[in-house]
Amino acid sequence: MKDMAIRLRYLPLSDVTEGMVLGAPLVLPEHGVSTFGLPLGHVLTETNLHQMAVRHAEFVCIQQEDTRSDDERAAEIAASEARVRHIFRSADLSQPLMARLYGAVLAYRGQ
Amino acid sequence: MTLQLNESEVRARAINLPAFPRVVNDILETLEDDNATLGALVRFVECDPVITGRIVSVANSAAMGGHTAVELKNVKMAISLIGMSRVREIVLAVSMAEFARKSGISAYYWEHSVAVAITAQELGRFAHVSADYALVAGLLHDIGQLWMARFYPLEFQMVRNAVNVSNRSIVEIEQHYFGIDHCVIGGILAEQWALPASIVAAIRHHHEPTPMLAEKLVGLIHVAEVLSNALDLTSRDENQVSNISEGACAAIGLDWEQDLSVLFGRIEARTEFACKVFR
Repeated sequence: MKDMAIRLRYLPLSDVTEGMVLGAPLVLPEHGVSTFGLPLGHVLTETNLHQMAVRHAEFVCIQQEDTRSDDERAAEIAASEARVRHIFRSADLSQPLMARLYGAVLAYRGQ
Repeated sequence: MTLQLNESEVRARAINLPAFPRVVNDILETLEDDNATLGALVRFVECDPVITGRIVSVANSAAMGGHTAVELKNVKMAISLIGMSRVREIVLAVSMAEFARKSGISAYYWEHSVAVAITAQELGRFAHVSADYALVAGLLHDIGQLWMARFYPLEFQMVRNAVNVSNRSIVEIEQHYFGIDHCVIGGILAEQWALPASIVAAIRHHHEPTPMLAEKLVGLIHVAEVLSNALDLTSRDENQVSNISEGACAAIGLDWEQDLSVLFGRIEARTEFACKVFR
């Protein structure tokens, strides 16, 4: 059986719920001096959500199993790429800098 | 019909805008002051009870995120819990959100301004630009458009319509209809409000940063606006990217070929959060 792929998602704190798994270590400053941290792979608890909120976390990187089928994944990526092409509709992609910016956004949307 | 507006007309009409929040200048002036105290920040804020109420409310909503906890009752308590720099940022954002609301700003304009401000803060880490300066310049970069929409709504709408069907830049179209563009108008307003010179320059040159690249904030706001559109942060159909300054990218030290997924993810998540909190 094929291993389930993992996706990293950056979510605003308001969308983070108990049971989600950290996709990157979390480090939050406390009064600019000490820090509050949780390790990669940590399963978030209700207490953690409160600890993060009190320390004014704005977002969290979490990891999720990618449950999409190959077709669903391909369709989502195609839709994202079409949107990026629309946004760059009047850009001159023969300019190296513009092509690099376009490539960076496209690569991000293709994840 | 087209207008031929000049600087004195912009200044004269600006008197009819709501008063610009003095606390923004106060905070920016004390950024470099090592002797600035918690008490000073509290004094600035508590001059305005409406702002104070909003700050405590936003600090509560931001800090608690809907989870049960001790309620923040005043600005001092907010500072002691979430730290001075975060409260300073909340004060700046809330003050300007209040100003924008009183000015009759559209939801789209505000969301775009928040998106550019957050993007500028994140890119500012590369360029070592103060997060507070990036925030204020980002929130105000299109303030000239607010002036246009408020005092000449018909001509402003004609500009919006033309932007959607023309290959000309927004600056060229505005110059056609107004005789002046939103960057120049924004620069005049920022000067009138006695904002720091770097913020004035960033607002005035955000579409054409080349002449002012010695000032990092100018390149930063230019790139932040381009990137916020490229990432589709406001999800508007008219979002588009048409040019970007090579010099501005070089000035802030950004290499588009490295893996930027963490940076882009942070920007998206922070913008979504900020648009919810600072409505």
